[in-house]
Amino acid sequence: MGEIFGAPGELLASTIRFATPLVLAALGGMFSERSGVVNIGLEGLMLISAFAGVVGASLSGNAFVGLGFALAAGLAFALIHALMCVTFEADQIISGTAINLLALGGTAFLLVIIFGTGGTSPRVEGFEELPIPLLSDIPVIGPALFSQSLLVYLMYLLVPTTYFVLFRTPFGLRLRATGEVPEAVDTAGVSVTRMRYYGVALSGVLAGLGGVYLSMGLLSAFTENMTGGRGFIALAALIFGRWNPIGAAGAALLFGFAQAVTIQAPQDLIPQEFLQMLPYILTIIVLAGFGGRAIAPAAIGKPYRKE
Amino acid sequence: MSEDRTPEERRARGSALRRILVNAGGPLVFPLFAILISFLIGAVIVLATGHNPLAAYVALLQGAVGSPEAIGRTLLGATPLIFTGLAVAVAFRAGLFNIGGEGQLFIGAITAAWLGVSLGFLGPLSVVLVLLACVFTGFLWGAIPGFLKARFGAHEVITTIMLNYIGINLAYYFALKPLRTEGLVPGTDTIDIAARIPFIGLGLGRANYGLIIALLAAVVAYLLLWRTRRGFQIRAVGLSPGAAHYAGMSIGVNTVLALAIGGAFAALGGGVEVLGVYGKMTVPFVTNLGYNGIGVALLGRNHPVGVVLGALLFGGLYSGAQEMQFATDVPLQLANVLLAVILLLVTATKLVELVLGKRARALAGTHLDEGLGRQ
Amino acid sequence: MAEGRTGERKAGATREAPVVLEMRNVTKAFGSVRANDDVSITLRRGEILGLLGENGAGKSTLMKILYGLYSPDSGSVFVDGEEARIRDPKDAVSHGIGMVHQHFTLIPPLTVAENIVLGAEPRKGTSLDLARAIEDTEELSERYGLRVDPRARVTDLSVGQQQRVEILKALYRDARILILDEPTAVLTPQETEDLFSVLGELVADGLSIILITHKLGELIGVADRITIIRDGKVVDTVDASGTDEGELARLMVGRDVLLRVEKGASEVGGTRLSAESLVVRSATGSKAVDGVSLEVRAGEILGVAGVDGNGQTELAEALAGVRPAEEGRVGLDGQDVTKLGAEARQHLGLAYVPEDRGTKGLVQDFALYENNALKTYDEPPFSRWGWIFPRAMRRAAATALRDYDVRPPDPEARAGSLSGGNQQKAILARELTGDPGVIIAAQPTRGVDVGAIEFIHGRLLEQRDQGKAILLISLELEEVRSLSDRIIVLYAGRIVGEVGPEATDEELGLLMAGRGTEQTA
Repeated sequence: MGEIFGAPGELLASTIRFATPLVLAALGGMFSERSGVVNIGLEGLMLISAFAGVVGASLSGNAFVGLGFALAAGLAFALIHALMCVTFEADQIISGTAINLLALGGTAFLLVIIFGTGGTSPRVEGFEELPIPLLSDIPVIGPALFSQSLLVYLMYLLVPTTYFVLFRTPFGLRLRATGEVPEAVDTAGVSVTRMRYYGVALSGVLAGLGGVYLSMGLLSAFTENMTGGRGFIALAALIFGRWNPIGAAGAALLFGFAQAVTIQAPQDLIPQEFLQMLPYILTIIVLAGFGGRAIAPAAIGKPYRKE
Repeated sequence: MSEDRTPEERRARGSALRRILVNAGGPLVFPLFAILISFLIGAVIVLATGHNPLAAYVALLQGAVGSPEAIGRTLLGATPLIFTGLAVAVAFRAGLFNIGGEGQLFIGAITAAWLGVSLGFLGPLSVVLVLLACVFTGFLWGAIPGFLKARFGAHEVITTIMLNYIGINLAYYFALKPLRTEGLVPGTDTIDIAARIPFIGLGLGRANYGLIIALLAAVVAYLLLWRTRRGFQIRAVGLSPGAAHYAGMSIGVNTVLALAIGGAFAALGGGVEVLGVYGKMTVPFVTNLGYNGIGVALLGRNHPVGVVLGALLFGGLYSGAQEMQFATDVPLQLANVLLAVILLLVTATKLVELVLGKRARALAGTHLDEGLGRQ
Repeated sequence: MAEGRTGERKAGATREAPVVLEMRNVTKAFGSVRANDDVSITLRRGEILGLLGENGAGKSTLMKILYGLYSPDSGSVFVDGEEARIRDPKDAVSHGIGMVHQHFTLIPPLTVAENIVLGAEPRKGTSLDLARAIEDTEELSERYGLRVDPRARVTDLSVGQQQRVEILKALYRDARILILDEPTAVLTPQETEDLFSVLGELVADGLSIILITHKLGELIGVADRITIIRDGKVVDTVDASGTDEGELARLMVGRDVLLRVEKGASEVGGTRLSAESLVVRSATGSKAVDGVSLEVRAGEILGVAGVDGNGQTELAEALAGVRPAEEGRVGLDGQDVTKLGAEARQHLGLAYVPEDRGTKGLVQDFALYENNALKTYDEPPFSRWGWIFPRAMRRAAATALRDYDVRPPDPEARAGSLSGGNQQKAILARELTGDPGVIIAAQPTRGVDVGAIEFIHGRLLEQRDQGKAILLISLELEEVRSLSDRIIVLYAGRIVGEVGPEATDEELGLLMAGRGTEQTA
């Protein structure tokens, strides 16, 4: 097997690298959707943050400044979505689609304006691999898991953290309630509007982290349309994982693995295109109810209007 | 039939005329408003990047309609968007979100790329056969999310998005493996010129008679929705599933058919792109035609006439943007930004309510706003 | 069942107990309808006050005003003697008022404890102190006998248990005045008994309770005083111990006669519509119709009376073919149509005027001519070979709309732009133009102005005189009485009695409340 897939450690490392942006975006999507706002704009949020990170880093020469830019951009675009969906009661699907198109066009546009050239930005200082002493020396899994970018370690921490926030804090309880029965939340005296803004804002920040990892962790530059559908795979992971942080992370890992395999496996075993289809086929199967119905938060997709 | 009308009837007739005017004019106001605001925002962006908005917009206009080549480019860009716009609009009429235009178009494209080569010996006849085949495969592809929704309640937004990627990958697989050409550019073999859709000529560049097919498709969509039994059902189901059910109509069957028909339109568009423009499917192929179809459909208020107008607008913007970049150095991607902003504004009907009141909002919306909430 | 309770109840209110709540001269109108018309009620500490009235009498509106969900047009609320400004539920809660709605606002995937503490969560640092929440829940639960498992998910609970959670929600927020809106509507008899013993515990602890209901039999056993509301006005307030069901029924139901339609005798022929042991399940899975058999003959109007929610909707749907029956048979002019769908039955001459004209009777965004053809669009002259001909539809609609006095009689008008009465007439036009043999009319004049009511009644009688069979389902007793030749009463999905239109208010009221004058099963 090793001859076919390369060292298993290499495969694991690759999986982690591919999965990280998916996990982060999926967790972000989770907060938005759990509050009742559909967010198919994860793709656009990742893209704009990937770009903003590079801009920040190239202007200041500092990767962390870039990170700040990225999170701000993700937050800003997410707030547009929130404004549209929650305050203006726009259709959430269309708003998400518009965010994607805006990010796509906007980044390509600004790429030319800021860097003078289309296609790819110049290289920037990124978040390179940072081996954790001791842990990274564990045979096989050590280098794969603990010799990764800082952003990956952040991802490791975020998975249990988001679980805690969602299920063990009052905020998380109210957020979940908002996505299921907003009337109950309203009668309990909690603002549905505010909870939804928080949910969407969080999706912007987390998806932004996922995006900036692409342009400054995995690579060190921004390329047009570099997210290439990852936002939708993250959405698929979220659904596949039943809107649960552990499930979404697990599904994202699975899809990351599928992506890693397409790189490492020889072409003639399974055509690359079919492997790329895998996350999407799995999600459809889940939606059709096999393996237990995937039930979205009950109040998702509809603006909340008081009687 | 020349009896005197009662005052009531006269009033009813007069108000009917007024109603037609309002029905046609009212709905136009809001999309025009969205376009205007979007252009204003665009002007601000252009200014902020150190360019002259006026010069940019003049170049934009020139590039859209200022010369035969420009018009040709506009028509070329508009043609596939008419198809994908219809794909979205017809499904919307049934209360369904068809985000799967991308995948459906690719399915049609690969069908055409394949059959165009194998049936090419039939010459012009093959065009007809190939396009029919595209309709067929697109219909089947579109029926998948329809069936998943009708039978399992799987939300069509997610399934159509997923099927986009599945469809695109499937098409690329065929283009790169079984149907691969020996040429330099990755993709399929080029179809014989005799078996393609001819260019219109007249200095219109690569604009081809696919445009006529697109316009015919719009006519078909109109007839389907307003002159056939099936269309009556589709519209009833989309506007009031409860009443449709009580009247004995099947929600499930109409769900499947609406999405299938949408898929057929988009796939036809893919076939036209292959047969009319490229002559083959390259890898990578066109992008965003499906998603832009959503904007076209919404701008056109899900009506075939509106879709054609919206597609022309989009086509004009893309065409003009090229000239704008050439003449003023403003990157042509501004067009994408403008279109995205239009899409955002067109759906924010509550904004209209806040400014102009509830009745204005009712006129601005597509009446499907409520129906779309149905899971 | 309720009779035995009087002695078991713990010491509650006496005449001398202080007034904890007073609502004075409350008026609330929705458009032209006065839901509450100068209503005043008082509630004493430790008492259970029953608020009795039919559907639409105004009881729920009054309580929603108390709970801050509506604001009154005029009138005031006094809690413990001081005026209280209640603008939203939060204000109500801060005054110690809690409400258990008819339709629960519980969150199914969350646990009982989570539902109860939502919005007022106990904390431990930044995290939610779930242990405390569970503890507090258990404590409350023990104190008042509201047995429920704090860790259970609400989806797994029975309706009775869910109701307990709702009550606990109010108690958790220190409610001293508890309003229960039709609490026994969803409970089994056993659960009802349990609920009443819980209420007894609450009252013994000093809480005061308002019980909204139309089930007068239960009230006698559990309430101290009963305020009867009718047509938005308070009719009377009586001591429960000093009244009986008959009097309550009279007070609840009797009204001045407003409309009397001239109805002549008609020739009654053979059975045209029949149902045999029909069992129909509602959307939630419960048995809405539980073994109903009926016959409607040519030339007669069979009225179905009953309080809303006792199976009328499902009965109509099953007879029309919109909802499949689980058991039993439906017959149309002698033919067994049980397996046939709505469209097929319509072709056989069945017309259906549904109770929900807004979402089921008309496509609001269709023009009137399209609505007029909603069931006939696929037949000549409107359709041939798959095509439809709007011009033919418009012509037919123009005639139909004029015949049925729809205003404006404009085939192009959007259905939703018409008033309720005109929409109803448009539906009637559609259904009756095809000369059906059997007509099912559910709530045909709900929310309709007086002129249109007269018109619709006239048309229904006209059809009857022409030998059609009409099933009239209505919540308006007066309508049922003035139109029907025979009346059956539906309660809990069963027919509990058949009377003639000359039956007294008392008779009908009792039947509608589930208390048969003769012991029916």
